[in-house]
Amino acid sequence: MNTIVLTVVLPLLAAFVVPVLCRVSPLLGRLLGPLTLAYAILLTLQVWLGMEGKPFSIALGGFQPPLGINFYVDRLSLLFTFLTLVTSLLLWPWRNETEPRQYALTLLLAASACGLALSGDLFNIYVFYELISVASFGLAAGAAFAASLRYLILSGLGSVLVLCGIAIVYLQTGTLNLAQLSQLAPETLNTPLGMSAFALILLGVGVKGELFPVNSWVPEVYAAASSRVSGLLAGLVSKLAVLVIVRLLVLLFQQESALQLMLILGLLGAISGELAAWRAKDMNRMLAFSSIGQLGVIFIAFSIPGETGLFAGLALSLHHLLVKPALFLLAERWRGSLMGLRGAGLASPVAGGMFVLLALSLVGMPPLPGFWAKFLLFTGLAAQQSVIYQVALGVVLLSIVIEANYLFRVVMNLFQPAGDNSVAVITDHGWLNLGTTFLLSALLIAGMLFMGPLGAWLEGVAIQAADPVLYFDTVFPVSAIH
Amino acid sequence: MMPIEIGAVLYVGAIGLVVIGIAGIVLSHHLFRIILALVIAEAGANLLLVLSGFRWDAIAPIITGGGATQTMVDPVPQAMVLTSIVIGVGVQALALSLTLRAYGAYKTLDIRELQRRMSADLAGEAGTPLPQSLEEPVGGRPLPAAEGDGR
Repeated sequence: MNTIVLTVVLPLLAAFVVPVLCRVSPLLGRLLGPLTLAYAILLTLQVWLGMEGKPFSIALGGFQPPLGINFYVDRLSLLFTFLTLVTSLLLWPWRNETEPRQYALTLLLAASACGLALSGDLFNIYVFYELISVASFGLAAGAAFAASLRYLILSGLGSVLVLCGIAIVYLQTGTLNLAQLSQLAPETLNTPLGMSAFALILLGVGVKGELFPVNSWVPEVYAAASSRVSGLLAGLVSKLAVLVIVRLLVLLFQQESALQLMLILGLLGAISGELAAWRAKDMNRMLAFSSIGQLGVIFIAFSIPGETGLFAGLALSLHHLLVKPALFLLAERWRGSLMGLRGAGLASPVAGGMFVLLALSLVGMPPLPGFWAKFLLFTGLAAQQSVIYQVALGVVLLSIVIEANYLFRVVMNLFQPAGDNSVAVITDHGWLNLGTTFLLSALLIAGMLFMGPLGAWLEGVAIQAADPVLYFDTVFPVSAIH
Repeated sequence: MMPIEIGAVLYVGAIGLVVIGIAGIVLSHHLFRIILALVIAEAGANLLLVLSGFRWDAIAPIITGGGATQTMVDPVPQAMVLTSIVIGVGVQALALSLTLRAYGAYKTLDIRELQRRMSADLAGEAGTPLPQSLEEPVGGRPLPAAEGDGR
């Protein structure tokens, strides 16, 4: 069971070994990263099968919590560990032959993301979050250093806010262990001060999660960075930020006002992102803005109280994690103005077909997984009594209409006969991207075919994650206290 | 009576530093000033973190043989502050190196100018028209932009 720690340790170790190894033997250096990630995936699966659905906690270094730092392993954290490793492997810089820096940064990102998903200590989460930040600055700065400056400054501002929030939480409770906090929170954090701590942490972590007021870095970075990096940031890193907020909401901030704050910010993000995407004139920016909109919808889903919200939010997150990197990889082929895409779908029908499939799923056409995720969201929102949730329902519907409009406009463009002045540029490394996109689309179809068991399983994950008592009992077993 | 007042002053100071930092980030146009504002905000957050575990009637949390005899300051926030200072320094160094690169490429540190050139670059690469604001006056500006602006 303790082998799960290796999913953090091994990629971290490999990240620092790779640059040296690349000097000694380039071949070994190229192989080390994928092999490490593959082994870590294997370990995760092993733990998954071994735990039989029961969460457990690992005290790092033998120091028992609350004094020591612990890793909390349940289905949700394992799911995110697994997704992190698989996404990093899928978006591995395969064609990067000379530069070991990209290998090291991707491994660093994978290691810190696994740590973030597993950690059961608030400050440890902050440290891993900062590690993710540094790795993603490095990745983004490769092609887009001017754009990543704004990202860096906003991110720095975000970590200041998170630190202030953590300081308030510590001041009120005197601990940073999430399990212990979950016990103390109803008395100590159910105050205006506790609420301000949540607001600070929400805004701080929200920088990575593309939350409404702190997302101005998104379009620039995604427009300038390579599609691989955009896929990693939009698909993976944003979901991890969401995961942190969800854990805090379940364990620490159960008051209604916290959920409503997130709901309002999510609403603003959804509507502003979709409207900006509707106006966008080039492919990457359109995808970046639509990513803001979809993250807004995910925040709305997680702000529904109870397991319903968690289930809907998880379904939407998984769907977005699958579809968005695929779209970014396709966009590498059609980089540039949307007007220049005339006939590009006819020139490469496979890519065009996959774009249609992904766009349909993103909008939520019935048999595709996107529909089921949105369906869960709608039933969850409709079941709430409060007026603001009804407003949210309307806004989400409106955002879907806008989304359908601009995505289908692109599809129309793709399949119109080409004019004389518009030639789609196909880069020489198109096949690798196409293969990865094909894999992701195949996963999407598989998800559609096995929707029944997949939904039941995901509901199990959500129910387990929504239980703060289980969290406390796992970290502090009754036998150890008495 | 006195120590409590000093504590209050420190809390106000910490929050004030954060506010000054955030105001600096939002209001400055010079990239280097923005980074300095970030440093100030981080100092405020660190001070807040130290204060969250500090007690005036306690000694430094170092055990010197024979175990603890006096009340000690909570060591956890101090360890956390050390960590966050180190992280902060790393991020600041990265920010400065990126600033150098941006200066090398665009020869300016004015954030508005950088922004303009960068979106022009991006638009040029994508083949789209430049993003235009509706409020922007049509035609020439009344005064020509100074050449050495934002240095």
